[in-house]
Amino acid sequence: MSENLKKHIVELFHEKSKGDKKMFYIRDVTKWLPDEDRHAIQDAVKELLDEEVLKYWSSGSSTYLILAEFFPKEEPCS
Amino acid sequence: MAESKTPLLDELETGKWPSFVKEMKQAAEKNPMARDLLDQLELSYKDKIGHWKHGGIVGVKGYGSGVIGRYSDRPDLFPNVQAFHTLRVNHPTGWFYKTDALRNLCDVWDKHGSGLTNMHGSTGDAILLGTRTEHLQSCFDDLSDAGFDLGGSGSALRTPSACVGPGRCEWACIDSLDVCYNITMSYQDKIHRPMFPYKFKIKVAACSNDCVASIARSDLSIIGTWKGDIQIDQNEVLAYAPTIDIQKEVCDLCPTRCMEWNGKELKIYNEDCNRCMHCINLMPKALRPGKEKGATILIGGKAPILQGALLSWVIVPFMKLEPPYTELKDLIERIQDWWDENAKSRERLGELIKRLGMRVFLRAVGLPAVPQMVKAPRTNPYVFFWPEEIKKEVK
Repeated sequence: MSENLKKHIVELFHEKSKGDKKMFYIRDVTKWLPDEDRHAIQDAVKELLDEEVLKYWSSGSSTYLILAEFFPKEEPCS
Repeated sequence: MAESKTPLLDELETGKWPSFVKEMKQAAEKNPMARDLLDQLELSYKDKIGHWKHGGIVGVKGYGSGVIGRYSDRPDLFPNVQAFHTLRVNHPTGWFYKTDALRNLCDVWDKHGSGLTNMHGSTGDAILLGTRTEHLQSCFDDLSDAGFDLGGSGSALRTPSACVGPGRCEWACIDSLDVCYNITMSYQDKIHRPMFPYKFKIKVAACSNDCVASIARSDLSIIGTWKGDIQIDQNEVLAYAPTIDIQKEVCDLCPTRCMEWNGKELKIYNEDCNRCMHCINLMPKALRPGKEKGATILIGGKAPILQGALLSWVIVPFMKLEPPYTELKDLIERIQDWWDENAKSRERLGELIKRLGMRVFLRAVGLPAVPQMVKAPRTNPYVFFWPEEIKKEVK
């Protein structure tokens, strides 16, 4: 697994997350890197998920990716 | 008599059919989550709006699907359903449970959740309704210990499902249970780690009666069928004659009119049969599917969201299906790879084929265009062919 690719993906996530939009489809990530192999990007994203740099956010029907630091905090149950 | 706290929900108990309200009230007697759920639902009926916030957490380490986050937007009123996450549990293939497995499942859920279940969701999973965030991992661990795994959700391969097949049905042309189990085990990563543009569903029906409605509900339908002649026992056909109007109920309702009945003998023109199984369903002792069994592979079925509903479309008229199902799995992987590369976000396979055309799809996955692929009778089959192929034929 290319550490450079992972690093690049994380940089892109930070760059794209500067606005209000923090959640992205995997399709968005592959579009950011049109010259990279799609499968390599997916594998890199899976590693970043394992390392908890990225997190899944699921609506139930669709799944998004989000930087862990932006994952919505849950209010404690009373 | 004390005034009911849920007068609007009480109305739902007065109908002819069993009511979920009654079940929820029973659960509420021993579980405060179920109590608050009832009260929140009553408020929703009063306000005419749902009080749930969807989405978020996926919960279990290493998994990206199987948990659907759900939160109340009125935790001030209903603190016990502040977090009320759903777990989708991969059901046993064909929905065959032993009673001890069901008891274990329910015990785990009584320990960690609301005790409320939906058996089963439309994809097929056992749906466990309502647990708190801090219970997700421990609930999953207990489910694993009991032999269960989570199913698919989100942009993933959804839990494959199959009809009861040869486990309980004499018409099964393929071992739908084994095909489904094999696919499930082969594609664990695709089920648990969402990386697709959107959901992808596979359903396996062992015959064209299609008891799992695979043609309407799955992106990839695998439907058992046969090659060759329907097997006929003429003596048994005669035995049906006093109880069934064979001409009217069998021959006249055959969609391709491929049968003749002269009062003594049933003749089937098998070359015209489209294997719908209507005649076999009516006279199961007299007619049986042909001896060479396999499956038809269809593609692109889906329910209305986001575009309109689509029925699956034949792409392989007949495929022998024998373990380890290499030909099938190679095809599935080619299809998913093409879809993954070309689909927009939240675009189902059927919608992508509709947008780019069946001939583009066929060329990409390396399938030949054949007459059985015509989507509907009396439509022009030439839409499948490329201009250079037509020129070649004309010469």
